[in-house]
Amino acid sequence: MISALWDLRVDKVVADLKEGKRIDGRKVDEIRKITITHGVSENADGSARVKLGLTDVIAGVKMVPGTPYPDMPDEGSISVGAELLPMADPEFEVGPPRDEAIELSRVVDRGIRESKAIDFKDLCITEGEKVWVGFVDIYIINNDGNLFDACGIAAMSSLLETKMPKIEDGKIVKGEYAGKLKVRAKPVLSTFAKIGNVVVADPILSEEKAMSARFSVTITEDDNITAFQKGLPGSFKIDELNGAIDVAMKNSKQIRKLL
Amino acid sequence: MGKKKEEQIIYVDSKGKRLDGRKVDELRPIKITAGVIPRADGSAYLEWGQNKVFAAVYGPRECLPKHTASPYKAVIKFVYRMAAFSVPDRKNPKPGRREVEISKVCGEALERAIFVEKFPNTSIDVTVEIVDSNAGSRIAALTAASVALADAGIPMRDMVCGTSVGKAGGKIIVDLDKDEEDASDAVDIPIAMLPNSKEVVLLQLDGVLTRKEWDEAYKMAEVSAMKVYEVQKQALKAKYINGEADANKAEKKGVEEK
Amino acid sequence: MTKRLVIPGELVTEERKKLGSHVFVREGKIYSDSIGLVNDEADFASVVPLEGKYAPQMNDVIIGVITSERFAGYGVDINSFYPSFVSKKELREVLKPGSIISAKIMKVNEFNEVELGSIRLFFGGEIMPVTPVKVPRLIGKEGSMLNIIKGGTGSNIIVGRNGRVWAKGGNLDLLRKSIEKVEREAHVDHLTDRMAEFIQSQTGGKKPEAPRGEEMFGEGEQ
Repeated sequence: MISALWDLRVDKVVADLKEGKRIDGRKVDEIRKITITHGVSENADGSARVKLGLTDVIAGVKMVPGTPYPDMPDEGSISVGAELLPMADPEFEVGPPRDEAIELSRVVDRGIRESKAIDFKDLCITEGEKVWVGFVDIYIINNDGNLFDACGIAAMSSLLETKMPKIEDGKIVKGEYAGKLKVRAKPVLSTFAKIGNVVVADPILSEEKAMSARFSVTITEDDNITAFQKGLPGSFKIDELNGAIDVAMKNSKQIRKLL
Repeated sequence: MGKKKEEQIIYVDSKGKRLDGRKVDELRPIKITAGVIPRADGSAYLEWGQNKVFAAVYGPRECLPKHTASPYKAVIKFVYRMAAFSVPDRKNPKPGRREVEISKVCGEALERAIFVEKFPNTSIDVTVEIVDSNAGSRIAALTAASVALADAGIPMRDMVCGTSVGKAGGKIIVDLDKDEEDASDAVDIPIAMLPNSKEVVLLQLDGVLTRKEWDEAYKMAEVSAMKVYEVQKQALKAKYINGEADANKAEKKGVEEK
Repeated sequence: MTKRLVIPGELVTEERKKLGSHVFVREGKIYSDSIGLVNDEADFASVVPLEGKYAPQMNDVIIGVITSERFAGYGVDINSFYPSFVSKKELREVLKPGSIISAKIMKVNEFNEVELGSIRLFFGGEIMPVTPVKVPRLIGKEGSMLNIIKGGTGSNIIVGRNGRVWAKGGNLDLLRKSIEKVEREAHVDHLTDRMAEFIQSQTGGKKPEAPRGEEMFGEGEQ
């Protein structure tokens, strides 16, 4: 392993940006190379490994039977969880998910939920008795920045290839599947970092160490906005936010083709 | 379900073939790649049958919290975890007692292999994540961790390799898979050793064996562990052997361009 | 011909020899403790590792990066097992996080903690990483490899034993490529010859202008 000296040199990231250069040579609205591999875990009902530059994450879906809420007897649900594994970064600690992991999980979840990518009525097994709960568990393997977008892509990719466990006489037949999970939308999460007065798309780790604020937006196929998240103590001007949304609309089309 | 159905399963047939077609002393296919996590000091990805494992090493580095450090040696902190989707019935992400126990015995297995006295006051942090499993995941974890440690350049007196060995349907077999572990008379023995001195560093047993069966099992396990060692060796050397191929290509190109 | 590649625990030699670095004895035979290349000389055996963190040695010149400022001094990353520290009393210059310094290792204790001295702040320039254990290869026998690279790039170069190279001026792109070449081929013989050929092919034999009056150290903005 060669240490990324840039992580220590926030000053260089900032200085380069003042001259319009990003530390890895990209343009301000350019995203890194994305590779998606499906079927990386056979025990999962659907899984995907996503590399966004050197950021490396794995997501797996398990469809688990559960009881519906009394006020929504014909609806199942989804639950998204992300873990910052200690293997991914020398600063990630062993232990239960902390604030960052929880925020990450909820932002990814929000985009999927609000865009109605999954219709919860499709997850009903027996009304009032049994419904499916779709658990999406995401694990960070290597952190090189922008875990948000990598997890967003991984979650959607794994859902898109999820098979539904077979049900016979109201009982689950282990190891057998009947059809795929119905995914009705393909929301794409795009995250930006504010460094000094510049807003860059898909921040690499060194840029994240230099950023004062973070902005994420989820865009749907019909160019609608389904989630916002501003993070960290800094601030954005409205022009900066709108600029980012424009870039997100453009980049999300490119990303959606890969899902 | 029940005993009646089980009695019909033949774990090893008259031709010596197991449920998945393997012979009694045959391992499942193993593939290892070293250096897959750029941020870590050392890492490895391993597939063993259906098992899929990531291992990463950080260290030697400052041992925190300070009260866990030792002035005599590096402290090995081994964390074995299973992803929620790595098993047939989704597992609660919170680590259970099984994971805590496995973390402990695996860390203790590695300590004999590493020259811990060379790095007092530090910790060597090993984390392993199982993303897909089918019996034998703790030995898979240890095998991958060993490669990750060498990849990190941490001085060791030997690698750590191993296998599971045991019994199903009355026959002694190596590398049990999940179907075999479920046999009514199943015996499962994970065992790990240092390949050059044959020192046993991990040994556990679930089930009942006669003394004679244990002798047969150990002999088989030792032979299998050496096969695993060969795969580890190839994986570590592959990074450099390929590099040499590149260097020779470059040299050839340079000559041609003149 | 390439030196033999071994992994931890692999046999180096069965003969009785003096022990060099990264080897140990068991039952009269000599084994490697790391993944590396075997040096099996007439009277002693050692292994040159291909991986591993920088283990500080007294008198080494290293390149550090300031990570934090405290009341009495600065935290420094020296790319080893622990971060280090320099007290403000020892410095003429004012530093800040991201500042690059060269320093000498004055003392190493039994825990591998270091005391740094002869601290100088670099003025401008860039740092490039190289695997610490490959630094001797980058320098070469009596500096032969480094001289070839300096000649070909015309850059001011300082190599830190801790796996960092500081460079200013000249053909930095060629320098980067040369370092990558050493990284990839450190384990193959005749690297110095191949490096000379490589530099020749990249520059067409033209010697670049040596940077004049370039200051390497001093205060001010980087």
